[in-house]
Amino acid sequence: MWFPIQRPERVSFGASAKPWMPFDSQQPNSHCYRLETNSELLCICSYTHLHWVPFSEDPNPVTHSSGPSTPLKNQTYSFSPSKSYSRQSSSSDTDLSLTPKTGMGSGSGGKDGVPLKALYRQQTQSAFEHREFPFFTLTTFPPGFLVHVGGVVSARSVKLLDRIHNPDEPETRDAWWAEIRQEIKSHGKALGCHAVVGYSESTSICEEVCILSASGTAAVLNPKMLQDCSTEGCSEHRLDDASSLGCSFCHIPYDELNMPFPAHLTYCYVCRKQKVPDVLFTTIEPPLEAAVTGKGCLIQARLCRQKKKTQGEANATAISNLLPFMEYELHTQLMNKLKLRGMNALFGLRIQITVGENMLMGLASATGLYLTALPSPGGIQIAGKTPNDSSYEQHISNIQKKINDTIIKNREIYEINPPEILEELLGSPIPETRQRSRLFRSQSESSDDVSELDLSHGKKDAFVLEIDDADAVEDIHSLLTDTPTPAGFYSCNTEIMPGINNWTSDLQMFTTVRVFRLNNVTGLTSHGLNKAFSDLCENLLKTLYFKLRSMVPCCLCHVNFNVALPEDELIQVSVTAVAITYDKDQAQYVTKVCTDKTILKASVENEDQLQFTLELCMESQSSQSALHFSPCKTMGITESGNLQQVTPAAQRATSVDYSSFADRCSSWIEFIKQKAQTIRRGSIKTIASLDKASPLAEAHTHHRSPISCTTSTVTVVEMTPLSFIPGAKIAKYLGIINMFFIRETTSLREEGGVSGFLHAFIAEVFAIVRAHVAALGGNAVVSYIMKQCVFMENANKNQAQCLINVSGDAVNLFRDADVESAPSQPQTSGLQIGNGSGDVVT
Amino acid sequence: MAVELDVFVGNTTLIDKDVYQLWLDGYSVSDAVTIRIQSGILEQTGATQDVLESDTMDHYRAFQMLERLLHCPSKLTNQLLFQIPPPMQSMLIEKYYTFDEPFVREVLGKKLSKGTKKDLDDVSAKTTITLKSCRRQFDNFKRVFKVVEEMKGPLVENIQQNFLLSDRLASDYAAIVFFANNRFETGKKKLQYLTFEDFASCGKHLIHNWTLGAVDCMVDDMDVDLDREFLQDLKDLKVLITDKDLLDQHKSLVCTALRSKVSSFTEMEANFKNLSRALINIAAKLIHTKDVRDLFIDLVEKFIEPCKSDRLSCNDVGIFLTQYMNTARALDAFKHQSLWERYMGTIKSCIITMYHE
Repeated sequence: MWFPIQRPERVSFGASAKPWMPFDSQQPNSHCYRLETNSELLCICSYTHLHWVPFSEDPNPVTHSSGPSTPLKNQTYSFSPSKSYSRQSSSSDTDLSLTPKTGMGSGSGGKDGVPLKALYRQQTQSAFEHREFPFFTLTTFPPGFLVHVGGVVSARSVKLLDRIHNPDEPETRDAWWAEIRQEIKSHGKALGCHAVVGYSESTSICEEVCILSASGTAAVLNPKMLQDCSTEGCSEHRLDDASSLGCSFCHIPYDELNMPFPAHLTYCYVCRKQKVPDVLFTTIEPPLEAAVTGKGCLIQARLCRQKKKTQGEANATAISNLLPFMEYELHTQLMNKLKLRGMNALFGLRIQITVGENMLMGLASATGLYLTALPSPGGIQIAGKTPNDSSYEQHISNIQKKINDTIIKNREIYEINPPEILEELLGSPIPETRQRSRLFRSQSESSDDVSELDLSHGKKDAFVLEIDDADAVEDIHSLLTDTPTPAGFYSCNTEIMPGINNWTSDLQMFTTVRVFRLNNVTGLTSHGLNKAFSDLCENLLKTLYFKLRSMVPCCLCHVNFNVALPEDELIQVSVTAVAITYDKDQAQYVTKVCTDKTILKASVENEDQLQFTLELCMESQSSQSALHFSPCKTMGITESGNLQQVTPAAQRATSVDYSSFADRCSSWIEFIKQKAQTIRRGSIKTIASLDKASPLAEAHTHHRSPISCTTSTVTVVEMTPLSFIPGAKIAKYLGIINMFFIRETTSLREEGGVSGFLHAFIAEVFAIVRAHVAALGGNAVVSYIMKQCVFMENANKNQAQCLINVSGDAVNLFRDADVESAPSQPQTSGLQIGNGSGDVVT
Repeated sequence: MAVELDVFVGNTTLIDKDVYQLWLDGYSVSDAVTIRIQSGILEQTGATQDVLESDTMDHYRAFQMLERLLHCPSKLTNQLLFQIPPPMQSMLIEKYYTFDEPFVREVLGKKLSKGTKKDLDDVSAKTTITLKSCRRQFDNFKRVFKVVEEMKGPLVENIQQNFLLSDRLASDYAAIVFFANNRFETGKKKLQYLTFEDFASCGKHLIHNWTLGAVDCMVDDMDVDLDREFLQDLKDLKVLITDKDLLDQHKSLVCTALRSKVSSFTEMEANFKNLSRALINIAAKLIHTKDVRDLFIDLVEKFIEPCKSDRLSCNDVGIFLTQYMNTARALDAFKHQSLWERYMGTIKSCIITMYHE
C-alpha cells in the first residue's frame, strides 16, 4: 500500500485521536470500532481518473448513493474461496447467495477465460447499474489489467455476537459486513481508485466478542479489459501503455497536488514521467509485468497485547481501544523491517488480529520487494532522547552502525543493486525530500510530544527511530536479531518470488503446528510477551529452514501463518507453505520477456479448457473421450457411495450422456467395481491397474513425477498451496476438494501425546486428500489450504480432539519435460504454467 | 514459554538418514540430540538446540509410525499414509533390516525364541549395542524366519520377495535363517575367531549343496532343512577309513599328487590318516542332529586346529583338500563318488573359508 507516512501528530493516540476513530453511533447495541488503517489519514479525496466510463465517479462524492443498505453486489466477485485469505469467510457466506453459482466450483477455476468473461460482464453491468465498486478476491491479473495501485485499504469492526436478535438469520451479519465493505469502498475512493483487488475478509471470535476484518488493495483497473470481456484487450493495452516498462501500476492514482494524505512523491524511476510514492503496500501478488530489482523476502510484524479479562461491552471497548495501537505498531514494525532490508514495497500483506481471553495477537506477513520504479529507501537513523549522556551516545552509535551494516548486508543477500539515477535528472518536485520521514514508536507518543515533533517534521533525512526507553532499545535489538534467512533459502508469502524463474519440479508442501504455553501471562510485561511471540515465530521459521536444508537452493513460497488463542495461556501457530527447489546455475532473467508472451497464450488457450460447468464437461468429454476416455471419472461415479466426497464436477459428470461409449463404460464399471472391492479389502492396486488400462492415465504414470514409482502401485500426488506446479501444466481441473475431519482420542498418552496424535492426524489428512485426488484420476492438488485446525486436549482425561478443514483443487497435470510424448493433450503444448503465468484468476 | 505441541508434516515424508540411523541404533531423543550436536550440525547449519530437538522428535515420531509398516516391507511400498519416494523406501527397508556384526555373532545359530530374547540384555551389555537395537535386530531375524520357514522355493528369493531386501542382505538373512533352523553351534570359544561373514559363506555352501533344495527345488523348506537322506548316506563314506587298503591307496595317490606342490609336505604325509579319519568321522556322525549342530566346532577341533598346529598355510590346505577329494575318483573300490563329491566339495569350501587366524 501506499502507506501514508504517519506523521507524529497524527498518531498521538490521545484524546486528540478521537476524530479519526469514529464509533458508530447508529448502532448503539453493537460496539463498533473502525480503524481505517490508512485511509483514516486520508483527508482529501480527489478523482483524477474520470476518463473511465463504466466506473466513472459521481462528480459529487458526497451524493454517492451506495450506503449500507445497498445490496451487496460486490459479493459477486468474491468467488475464489480457496485463494482469498479469509479463513472464516463462512460468516459472509450468506451474502454469496446472491451470487450465481456458476463458475464458483473452484477457486482456481478462474484460470480459464469463460467464467472470467462472464464475470467481467457482470461487473460492468453492475457497475453501470449500481455504481458499485468491484471487489476482487483475486490476487493476480493479466498484464495491463491493473492500471494503478493505490495501496492497502482495510477496516475492522468489533461486534458482540450475543446482541444478534436472530442468530440463525444472516441479516445482522450481512449488515455488519455491508458496513465494512462500504468503508473499504470509501477508502478506495479516497485513494482515487474505483476497485479493490486482493480483497479478503476474516473474523476472530472469542466468547461473544468478534472482530470483523477486511482488507484489500485499492486499484484502478483497465476499463477496456473489463468492457471487452476478453483478454485480447490486454495485449492492445500493453502496447499503448507504460506497462511494458513494468512501472505503470506503481504510478499514483490520486492527484499529486491534492493528495489524500501527506506523502513523498518522486518521478518514476523507470519511465521518469509519472509520480510514484516512496513506499507501496499491497495485498496482491506482485504483477508479472512489475520491474523488480533483486529478490524478495518474507517480512513479518508480530505483536501481542494483554488485556483484562472482561465480559461483554467492557471487553469490546477494551479491544476497540487496543486495536488502533496494534495496527500502528504492526505498521511501524513492517516499515522498519522493510527499510532494514533495503526494500520499498510489500506484496501479499495480510494482517491477522486474533482475540483471546486475556490478550490480542497481531501478525502481519508480507513479501518485501524492491520495485525498480520506486525510489530507493533511505536508511534508518537512530535518535536518542538524552543527547548529553556520552555512554548513551556511544550505545546509540553502536546500534546505528549495526543497522547500517545490516542494511548493506541485506542488499547483498537480496541482490538489490538498483541502477544509479542522478537526482537532478529526476527533477523531484520536492527537492529537499528524499524519503524524509520521521517515525516514532507509538508507545512513546503522547500529546506532550506533539509540538516538539512538529518542529522536526519533514526536516530529517531518512527514517528516524527514536530511542526513549528501554523497550525501544530492545525493539531495535529484536529488529536486528530477526533471524536472517540462511544461505540458499528465500521465503515469501506470495505465490512466486520475483527474480527466481528457474524452478525445478522438486517441491515439498508441509504443515507445521505448534502450541505454546505462556507461563504466567499476567506476570509478563507487554514487551516480554511481544518478545515471546516474536521468538516463537522466529523459531518456527528457523526450524523450517533447518528441516528443509536438503532442498537448498530453495524458496519457501506462500508461507501462511495462522495464529489462534485456544486457551488463556496457549498460543497456537500453524503454518502451511511449500518449499520449491530452483536451479541456481541457470540464468535468472531469461524468462522475463517470454513470461508475458506465455501469459497471453495461456489465457487465450485456456478458454477451451474449463471443466466446471456441465456443458463444458460434456464438451470436453465428447471432444476428448474418443482419444482417451478416462476411467477415473467413472470411478468417481461408481464409488460415490463409499467415497463421501465427490466433487461438483464429478457429480455433474454423472448426468453426462455416455451412451456412445456405453460398451466401454460398462466394461470399465465392471472392472472398477471389482477394483473397488479390492480397495475395501485393503489392497491398493486399483490406481495402477486403472492407469495401465487407460491411455490417458498411462501418460500420467509416465509424467507423474521424477520419482515415479517402479514397484509401488500408489499414485504420487503432489500438493501445493500455489495455483500451479513448476515445470508442469495443468491439463484438467477435476474439481474442488473440501473436507472436514474431526478426530478424537481417548488414549492420548498411548498415541504419543498431543504431538503424536496431531502428527498422525495431519499425515492422514494428507493421505486422504491424496487418495481422493488419485481416485478422481488426478495427480496433484493446487491451491491447497488448511482453513481450520482447531485442537483441544484434556491431558488429565487422556483425551484430545481436533478439527481440520482443508481444501484445494484436484488437477491432472503433465510435466513440461514430457510434453512431446503426450499426444493426447496437443492443445496445451507450448503452454508454460511453470512460471506462474497461468494463474490468471486465483 | 513451554512448547506443548510441535509437529511438522510434509506431503512427502521428510526423512533424515542420520536421524534414522540414530533411531535404529536405539538412542533416545535426548541421546540422539547430543550425538547430533557432537557431529557439529549446529555449526554447519546455524541452528539452535531446540530446533534440533524439535526436528529429532518429528523424525522419531514419523519413524515410530513407519515401524509397523517396516515389519512388512511390501506394505510400506503400497501404503498411502506416507508419500515416500521409492529410493527412500528402499533405504528405509534396507537400513531397518541391516544388523550389527557383533550382535549377529551372538545370536547366530541360537533358537529365535522368547528365551533368547530375554537374554538380549546380556548381549546388549556385551556388545555395547543398545537393548532397543538388539530387540529390533532380533525381531527382524525372527520375523524373517517365521515368514520364510514354511515357504516353497529358494530361500534367498523368498526373503527378497517378502522383505524387498538387497541381494547381499537377503543372502545374509538366508544364512541367519539357515543357522537358526539347524541350530549350528557358533558361540564356543574356539569359534570366536570366525566372523559372521565366514559363517554366512559356509551357510551358503551348505544351503547350496546339502539341503533338499540341492536335489529338488519344489519341496517345502527346501533351503532350510538339510537333506536327511544325504546325511544318512554319509556313513557309507566310512569305508575310506575302515578299509585299510583303500586308505593306503588314497594316501599314496594324494601324496603323489601333492609332492613338490606344497611346502609342508612331510607334515601332511604324516598326518594324512588323522586328517582323513577326522573328515570321514564328521561325515558319518552327521546323521545325528546334535552332531550337525557341532559341525563347525568339529571342523575346527578335528581338522583346522591340527593343521594349524602343523603350520600349514591356507593355500596348502586348499591344495590338500582338492587332491584329497579328486583322487578318490581313482579308487576303484570306492563306489560313492557323487556322495563323496557332494560332501567333500562343501567341506572343502567351508574349511578354506574358516582357515584363517
